[in-house]
Amino acid sequence: MQPLANVTPLKPPPRAGAIEVRNVGQVFRTKSQDVVALEDVSLDIKPGRFVVLVGPSGCGKSTLLMMMAGLRAQTSGTITVNGAPIPQPDPNRVGVVFQEASLFPWLTAEDNVEFPLALRGVAKAERRAKAQDALKLVGLEGFGKRHPHELSGGMKQRVSIARGLVQDPPVLLMDEPFAALDEQTRMTMGDELLRIWAATGKTVVFVTHSLTEAVYLADEVIVMSPRPGRIVDQLQVNLPRPRTYEMLSGDAFGALRDRIWRHIRKSA
Amino acid sequence: MQATLTIKLARVAIVIAIFALWEMLSRTGLVNPRLLPSASDTLMTLGDLLQRSSVRTDLLVTATEVLTAFAIAVPMGALIGFLIAENRYFADVAKPLLFFAFSIPKSIFLPMFILVFGVGFAQKVGFGFFSTIFIVIMSTTTAVESVKVEHLTVARSYGATRAQTAFRVYLPSMLPVLLEALRISMIFNLTGVILAEMYASRDGIGHQIATWGENFQMKQLLAGVVMVAAIAMTFNELIRWVETRCSHWRT
Repeated sequence: MQPLANVTPLKPPPRAGAIEVRNVGQVFRTKSQDVVALEDVSLDIKPGRFVVLVGPSGCGKSTLLMMMAGLRAQTSGTITVNGAPIPQPDPNRVGVVFQEASLFPWLTAEDNVEFPLALRGVAKAERRAKAQDALKLVGLEGFGKRHPHELSGGMKQRVSIARGLVQDPPVLLMDEPFAALDEQTRMTMGDELLRIWAATGKTVVFVTHSLTEAVYLADEVIVMSPRPGRIVDQLQVNLPRPRTYEMLSGDAFGALRDRIWRHIRKSA
Repeated sequence: MQATLTIKLARVAIVIAIFALWEMLSRTGLVNPRLLPSASDTLMTLGDLLQRSSVRTDLLVTATEVLTAFAIAVPMGALIGFLIAENRYFADVAKPLLFFAFSIPKSIFLPMFILVFGVGFAQKVGFGFFSTIFIVIMSTTTAVESVKVEHLTVARSYGATRAQTAFRVYLPSMLPVLLEALRISMIFNLTGVILAEMYASRDGIGHQIATWGENFQMKQLLAGVVMVAAIAMTFNELIRWVETRCSHWRT
C-alpha cells in the first residue's frame, strides 16, 4: 500500500450530518413471544463527530445503525438525520459501509464505487470522475480496474468506503467494517479511516465488537447492553488526535477500555 | 480452469490414442470388423451420411424438436423456479416434492407420452420438455438462493428500485448458475428427445440410429453416434465458453 500523506484532502463540506435518536424502541414479534431488541434509546450525535457503538452480540447496536440508515423501521420513537426523519434509505444523506462481503464481485472496483451513482442515472463521465476521486481518497488510485477477488481484504473495505463516500453524504454509517480483517490490517485501516474522516469532515457512526478499536477511533463511545438493548454508558474520548499506536499502552486509553469492559462483562 | 499447454497436449494425445486403438483393433481383426468398423471407415461413412438429404432432414427434425422443447422448458422452468425460490412458503412445500420428481427416471413415462400424444412431433417435444423441466426448476431455485442478502441490502441502502435490483443484483448474481443450468438442461433435453425418437418415431436422427442398429449397419450406426456426440459436445462447449466469460469473478 502506498503512503497516503500526499493525497489532497477533499474540502470538508458544510457542517451537516447531525443525528438525533429519541426514545427509540424496537420489538421483534415472534410466535411465542415479543423480543425487545431496543428499549428507550436516546442519542445526540453532533455533526462531524466520530461515534462508536459497542456492546455484546444482541445489544441492538447493528439494529440501531440500520435504523439510522433507513433500512429498518423502529417500533417506537423518532430518528432524524440531518434534521429530517429517515423512513427509507437516502443516499444523499447517508452512506453505508458493510462487512467484507458487500462488494459486487462481478463489478470492478470503480464500477462498485460508481454503483450508487449509476442507480441515479448519473452520466458515465461524471460517474467515472467521482469514482476516481473517491478511490484516490481511500488510497486506491490505479486499482479501479481490479475485481474484488483480486484485492486484499483491506483493499476491499477501502473500496466499500469509497462507495459510501462517492455521493458525498454528510453521514457515514459503518457496520463492523473491519471485523473480517486480520489484526495488522485492522489497525492500518483504522488509521486510514481516521485520515479519511479528518479529510472529509463526515459524521461517522461505527459499530464494532472491539473495545480497542472503539477507543482508538472514537470521539465518543456508546456502550450498549442486551436484553433489552439499552445504552448503559457514554464515554467522551479526549485523547489527542492524530491517534497513535503508542496511545494504546497509555493509562488514559487503558482506563477507558476498562470502563467499557466492566459494562460488557456485567451484561455478558 | 486454466489448462497448461502440456495438459492440453495430453488431452489431444488421449483422443488420438483412442481413435488409433479403435482403428488398430478393427484393422488387425482383434475385434470382428463387422462389429467394429474401423475409425477411418466410420468417419468416411459420416462424411457420406452428411451429404445425404434424408440424414440432413432427420437432423433438422431432431434439432427442431430439441429447440422447441428447450424453448418451452427453460423459460417455464425458470419462472416456476423463481416463484418457488422467492416465496418461503412455496419453497418449503415444493422443494422436497421436486427432489422426489427429479429422482424418478423419466424414461418410464415414455409409453404414456406415446399413448397421449401419439407418435410424432408432440410426443417427442413433450417428452423432451418433461425430461428437462425439473432440472431447470431446481437450478433456478439454486440460482435465486445464490443471491446474497448482503448485496440486496447494499442495493436497498443506495435506493435501488425493484427493476434496478432485478437487473443489477439478481441477474448478474444468478447468471453463472443459470448458464450452467442451461448447459445441463440441454444434456437432459437432448437425451429425452433422442430416446423418444429411438423408442417410437418415423423420423429424426435418433430414429435413424435405432434403425441402423436393427439392420446391423454398423458403419452408419457408429457414424451416427459420432455425429450426435459431436453436436452435443459443441453445444456444451459453447455455453461453457460463455460461462467462463461471464463468471470470471467467481472464485
